[in-house]
Amino acid sequence: MSSGWRWTTAALLAALAGPAAAASIDFGRIFDVGRDLTTAAKGMDESEEIAVGREVAGRTLGAAPLVADPELQAYVNRVGRWIAMQTERPDLPWHFGVLDTSSINAFAAPGGYVLVTRGLYEMLETESQLAGVLAHEIGHIVQRHHVKVMQHSALVSAGARASQRDRNLLVNNLIGTGAEVLARGLDKSAEFEADRIGVVLAARAGYSPYGLVEVLHLLAARSADDATLALLFKTHPAPGERLTQLADVLEPRVAALPTGKEPAIRQVSPNTPPPAAAKPAKPAPAESASALQQEEGGTTIPSTGASGGGLDAGGVFRGIFGR
Amino acid sequence: MALAGGEAAHYNQPIAQSAFGTSGAGLPGNMSSRDQALQAYRFLLAALLLAAAPAAAQQVTLERDSLLYAEPRLDAPQVATLKLGATGDVIGKQGAWLNLKTPAGTGWLFSFNVRFPSQQAAAGNTGAGTAAGRLFGPRRSVSVTSTIGVRGIDEEDLKGASFNADQMKLLEGYAATKEAAEQKARASGLAPVGVDYLDSKKQ
Repeated sequence: MSSGWRWTTAALLAALAGPAAAASIDFGRIFDVGRDLTTAAKGMDESEEIAVGREVAGRTLGAAPLVADPELQAYVNRVGRWIAMQTERPDLPWHFGVLDTSSINAFAAPGGYVLVTRGLYEMLETESQLAGVLAHEIGHIVQRHHVKVMQHSALVSAGARASQRDRNLLVNNLIGTGAEVLARGLDKSAEFEADRIGVVLAARAGYSPYGLVEVLHLLAARSADDATLALLFKTHPAPGERLTQLADVLEPRVAALPTGKEPAIRQVSPNTPPPAAAKPAKPAPAESASALQQEEGGTTIPSTGASGGGLDAGGVFRGIFGR
Repeated sequence: MALAGGEAAHYNQPIAQSAFGTSGAGLPGNMSSRDQALQAYRFLLAALLLAAAPAAAQQVTLERDSLLYAEPRLDAPQVATLKLGATGDVIGKQGAWLNLKTPAGTGWLFSFNVRFPSQQAAAGNTGAGTAAGRLFGPRRSVSVTSTIGVRGIDEEDLKGASFNADQMKLLEGYAATKEAAEQKARASGLAPVGVDYLDSKKQ
């Protein structure tokens, strides 16, 4: 049983480390590395945290590149850095980016890396909503949530018995664990904590504290089987549950929280082409194809025929929260 | 590029404000006649937009018992007590508050105490760029999120991806200094405020 279990774990570790690393992994040494993982994650200093985060972020950029709009990227960095300056870790090398994918999600990697997808960005109506999203991710980093998961990871403890070895392989596995955490998600309590921090950091930066609440409403209104939300819904508690948790702590504090500002958000340059499909798209039904053409036509005139004249919740949110 | 979008958003904001009666920055005390004309035009446009879309009053459901206030302030008179499961139509928003029209009366309550209905899953209906979005949201160009069938990155993509050095170099090049961030914040009228972290326990 023991050897079978070990093989499974070894295969899992190899899978986490990614295809490039898998080729060079010596299975015999993986458990040796496990020991180092434990020590390293526990004792990870800030420079190591940044190095691991940089690798995890670089891999995420390997899954989806940045939107080719330098002004947009610079803008998001200024907004994000301003919020990060209101935290206990203002001097981390903060980096913010908008990923060119239609997925709706945002990621944080240790050491100050925050990536928001274009799909999420384009749902946002105000800079205070963007601030809420960035502040949630900044909260993960300030609280070292991912580092803590690495530390407590079952994978780490599984290998804790072995002896110390190759440093490069160790870092590689930490990165693999980090990438896994990004793909698998943190636990609910970490997400709720990041929500509470997100509200406060946005408020500290001078924004309306409620941008994140609005984004959660926007997310909650979208269909649960919306493909662009699959990963977000898999890795986070349901938006409604997050709203409930926030309501518990916000209700008694509303009177004390500042009103804040809701500046307009910078939009993706219209010259920027839509993101390339990461994988072949599922065949779209005929009616969808015509809807797509209509979208590409760039019309901004309300079309009563497109969806049977009905007004969906997502659209209404854009109105309610769109200012 | 900012022209098309930026101008549109800037232009649209006062419409939403006048339509929903939000305070925002308020109106300047001494408006020129041109400003007044513009304001009147915006108000007219807002009224037309509202009249054209009566269905836009969206029904929401209370997630918990909640007081309905005459104004978006905790010290405002209480209009009614709404029970969990009660419904109402949203007719405006301001900060944490939604303006709700209910059988028990019209008033304000916290937005986080209600839930909007989830939209039906349907091909071609991905939420962005919808009729109401075009009507009330900032005028913006085509949304990539409405590109049909492109599902973007998923768990497998993330796990299988390898480090992209060129993109990392780009990302690092976009980093903002504290000074640049401060300057941008000032330009947007943002000033730091002291706010304590929220306790995770009910207070």
